[in-house]
Amino acid sequence: MLFLQTFVFAQQAQLTVHVTGARGFAINDARVTINGTRQIYTDSIGQFVLSGIVGATYSLRISKQGYLNENRQIKLESKNQSLTISLATLSHQLDEVLVKENRNLIRKGEEVLNVAVVNSDFIQRNLGGSLMKTLERLPGIKTIGIGSGQSKPLIRGLGFNRVVAVDKGIKHEGQQWGADHGLELDQFAAGEVEILKGATSFMYGSDAIAGVINVKPSRPPLKHTIAGNVDLIGKTNNNLYGTSVNLLGRNDKFFFDTRFTYQDYDDYRVPTDRVYVYDFEVPITNNYLRNTAGKETGIHWSAGVIGEKSNTVFYFSNVHSKSGFFANAHGLEPRKVAAEFHDRSNSDIQLPSQEVNHLKLINRTAYQFEQHKIELELGFQRNFRQEFNQYVNHGYMPANYPSNLQIPKDLEREFDKKVLSANLRNKFILNAHQFTIGTNLEFQDNLINGWTFLVPSFKQYTAGIFIYDQLKLNETLILQGAIRYDYGKMKLAKYTDWFESNDSQKLVRAENLTRNFNSLVWSLGVNYNPSKLFFKANIGKSFRIPIAKELGANGVNYHYFSYEKGDPGLSPEKSYQLDATLGWKERSWSLNISPFYNYFPNYIYLNPTANYDYFYGAGNQVFEYAQSKVIRYGGELEFNYKLTSFLNAEILGEYLYAMQISGVKKGFTLPFSPPPSLLLNLTYSPKDTKLFKDSYFSADYRITGKQHHIVPPEKKTEGYQVINLQIGTSLHFYNQPLRVSLQAQNLTNKKYMNHTSFYRLIALPEAGRDIVLSLKIPFKLVKHNHN
Amino acid sequence: MKKFKKLVVLFYLIGIFAVGCKKDEGEVDIEYPIIDIAFADAFPIQCSTFTRGQTITFKAKFTDNAALGSYSLDIHHNFDHHSHSTEVSNCTAEAVKTPIKPFLLIKTFQIPAGQTMYEANNQLTIPADIDAGDYHFLIKLTDKEGWQTLKGISIKII
Repeated sequence: MLFLQTFVFAQQAQLTVHVTGARGFAINDARVTINGTRQIYTDSIGQFVLSGIVGATYSLRISKQGYLNENRQIKLESKNQSLTISLATLSHQLDEVLVKENRNLIRKGEEVLNVAVVNSDFIQRNLGGSLMKTLERLPGIKTIGIGSGQSKPLIRGLGFNRVVAVDKGIKHEGQQWGADHGLELDQFAAGEVEILKGATSFMYGSDAIAGVINVKPSRPPLKHTIAGNVDLIGKTNNNLYGTSVNLLGRNDKFFFDTRFTYQDYDDYRVPTDRVYVYDFEVPITNNYLRNTAGKETGIHWSAGVIGEKSNTVFYFSNVHSKSGFFANAHGLEPRKVAAEFHDRSNSDIQLPSQEVNHLKLINRTAYQFEQHKIELELGFQRNFRQEFNQYVNHGYMPANYPSNLQIPKDLEREFDKKVLSANLRNKFILNAHQFTIGTNLEFQDNLINGWTFLVPSFKQYTAGIFIYDQLKLNETLILQGAIRYDYGKMKLAKYTDWFESNDSQKLVRAENLTRNFNSLVWSLGVNYNPSKLFFKANIGKSFRIPIAKELGANGVNYHYFSYEKGDPGLSPEKSYQLDATLGWKERSWSLNISPFYNYFPNYIYLNPTANYDYFYGAGNQVFEYAQSKVIRYGGELEFNYKLTSFLNAEILGEYLYAMQISGVKKGFTLPFSPPPSLLLNLTYSPKDTKLFKDSYFSADYRITGKQHHIVPPEKKTEGYQVINLQIGTSLHFYNQPLRVSLQAQNLTNKKYMNHTSFYRLIALPEAGRDIVLSLKIPFKLVKHNHN
Repeated sequence: MKKFKKLVVLFYLIGIFAVGCKKDEGEVDIEYPIIDIAFADAFPIQCSTFTRGQTITFKAKFTDNAALGSYSLDIHHNFDHHSHSTEVSNCTAEAVKTPIKPFLLIKTFQIPAGQTMYEANNQLTIPADIDAGDYHFLIKLTDKEGWQTLKGISIKII
C-alpha cells in the first residue's frame, strides 16, 4: 500500500527534518511554521516530515522555548531528503545569531507566562546541596533550607503547598508542608528545569499559586547510540563526595536510560563557635554543626518506544535520603545533648534524624494525528518519611516508654503517602488558535505512625478539567485565555492518644472530617513581541485546597517548640495575581523587568497566639491556623551587558513586599519573606583552544538587604554580602570532552543569617566556605552514524 | 499597536510604583516581652532547692511595651540531663538516673488584658511522694501579639 502511494504521487517529495540542540540532542515539541500558516510540532525524537512538490520552496520557522527561533528557506529537490537543523540555546549564543542580523528572531519564546529555563549545564555550574538550592541563583527564587542537603523552593516568597513541583509530567507529592522536609528530587537526573512564575492553577490545579518548578527528564538519545556519563562531586565544607553514573542507549525505536546517584556528607561547618537556641547557649565544636550529616541515593530507570506518530516512555525512580537534625534544636524545648558523644564523629547520623524514600512509577504516552497531539501521563508515587528521636514524654505521656506499645521506641513520626495521578491533554490547532483541553485526576492516601501526633491520616481526591487557547493574532502578538474547574474532597481520620491524660481519658486529637471543595479559576495573558521590545502580561486566579495540617493539626511542632492547632472550617485559599515582563534586547545588552501584584482574600497562615496549651502538649505556645487578607507585590530585574566578546556583566535583582491587611496580625508581613537582594556577576569566557573549550571564570557578588519586616516568631535579619566564584572548562582529549567545574561558595567564610533558613529562628549562621569540584566524564560505547 | 505600547508604559508605571511604594513601618509591635527574675524577692532562681511536700511561691516580674499575653510554668525532671538553663552559672547535678515517679507540672496563667507590667505570684505545691533529684523550671511568657520569651532554670527537689 505504501509503495503504491509513493508510486502514484511520484511528483511528491518528502523531507525528514531532525531538530536538535547544540549538542545533538533531539528537541521534541518544537513548533514548525510552514509558509507562515501551517503549524506542526516535532515528535519526541525531534523529527517532522515536510511533504510537498519537487522543486517548490518552503519557508520554515522553528521555535521552541529556551532556544532561538530558526528561519530556513528550503527547496525540495529529491523524493526523500533528510536534513538536520540545530537550534541555538537562547542564553548562551545570542551573539552568533546577532551576527546573522536576524534580530527579530530573538524572543523569549511564545510563552505568555513568566518563564525561566535552566539546563544541566547550569546545574553543574551552580551545583548546590539540592536541586532547589542550585536554582536559588535565579531572581525571585529562594529556598527554605534545613541542613546542607534539604531545601524547598520559595517563588517570590511563597512556598510549601503554594508551589507545585512537577517531575516527568506528574505533580511531585511528598510532605511539602513541612519546613524541615526537602523535596525528594535528584538534581543529577534533571535534564532541564522550567520555572513558571505566576498564577498557574489553570494548568496544574490546586497549589499552583506562586508558580511551578517543572523538572523534565533528559531527552531520548540519538538513534543507534549507547553512551553515558559519569559525574563526580566533592565538597569541602561538609566533606561531601558523590557520583552519578548514567548509561543510555537506543537502536531505532527503543531506548533506555539508567542512572545511579550516590552522595554522602558529614556535618557541615558554620563560622561560629556557639549559637543561642531561644537564649539557651549551645557551644559548637570546631565549627561542625552536630548531627547534620547525611546520605542520599537515587536510582532511575526509563525505557520507551519512539514511533513516528506516537511514543510511550516508562520511568521508574527511587530517591532515598537519611540525614540528622541539629540535635540541640529538636523536641519540646532546646536540649542539652551529650556533646562528647555527638562530636566524636562528624560523619555519623545519630538521633534526631529523618529518613525519606520516594518511589515513582510514571508512564508518558503521546499520540499525534493531523492537527492533534494527545498526551497521557499516569503516575504512582509513594513517599515514606520517618523521623526518629529518643522518647521524651510530654503532656501526660508516661515517663518511661511502655514496653507493650506497638510503635518502635525511637519512631517519633511517620508519614506514608501513596499517590495515584492521571493527566490527559489534547493539543490541537484550529486556524490561528492553539487549544489545549485536558483533565487531571489525583488520589492521595496518607497514613501516619509514631508516638507523637501532629497531622491526622487523610485521603484526598481531586479532579480538574481545563481548556486554554493560545491565539496568534500575528507574528508579534499572542493572546491566551484559560478556564478551569476543580473538585476536591478531603477526608481526615480520627486520632486518639495512646496514653491517658489527667482525667484518665485518652484524648481525641482529630475527629473524622469530610470536606468538599469546588473552584473555578481563569487566566488571561498577552505576549507582544516586536523586534527589540518584548512584553508579557498575565492576570489569573489560583486556588489551593487547605491541607490536612491546616485542617487537623493538633500537636507539638518539635522544631519550633510550638503547639499547632488546625481549623477544620478553613475555606479554600484564593489568589489573584497580575504580573508582567517587560524586556528590551540589543546586540550587546538586554534588560528584563518583571513586576507583580498579588492579592489573597483569605490567605491561610499559622498565627502565633498569646495562649499556652495545657492538655495536648507540654505547655507550649499555641499557634492557630487562621485566614486573612494579604497583599503582596514586588518584582525581579535582569540586566545583561556584553562588555567585550569575552567579558559579560550581569545584574539580577529582586524585591518583595507582603502585608496582612486584615485579621489579628493586620499590619504584619508573612513569614519567610525574603529581603531584597541584588546579584552582580562578571563572567570572563576566553576563546576556545584545542584543549580547553567553553571555559569560564565567573564571580557572583550577592548583596542582600536587611529584613526588619517580621511577624512572630521571626527575628530581624541583618543584610550581608557574599561572594561565590565559578570556574569551569571542557578539556578535550581525543575528541572526548571532560567537563570540569569548580566553585567557591561563600568565598570569604562570611558569618551571616539567611532570613528564609529553617534554622534562622535559632540564630544559626549559614554554611561557611565551601569549595565544590565536579567532573562530568561523557563516554560513547556505540557511536551515532550520521545518515 | 499603539494601544499596546500604551499598555506597556502603564505596566512600567505600575512596576515602578509597586517598588517605590513603602509602607510606614513601626505601626506593628515587634518587641519581645521581658521576664525579670533578678530582683530580691524573685523565686525560684538558678539552683534554688524545693522540698517535697512544700508549697512554694513563684514570683517574677513581666513587662512588655504594648500588652502582655499569658505565661506558662513547667516543672519536669532532668534526670537524663537533657535540659540546661538560660542562666550563665551552672548548678551541680546528680548522676543520671531512671525516673520512677517524676514530678510533672504544667500550668498556664492568663494575664489581665492590656497590662504592660505584671507581677506573678503563684502558689505551687510540690507533692510528697515524687522522685527527688534535678528538675528544670521553665517560664514562658507571651505578649498579645504572640511574641514569646523563655527562661529556663535548673532546680533541685530534695
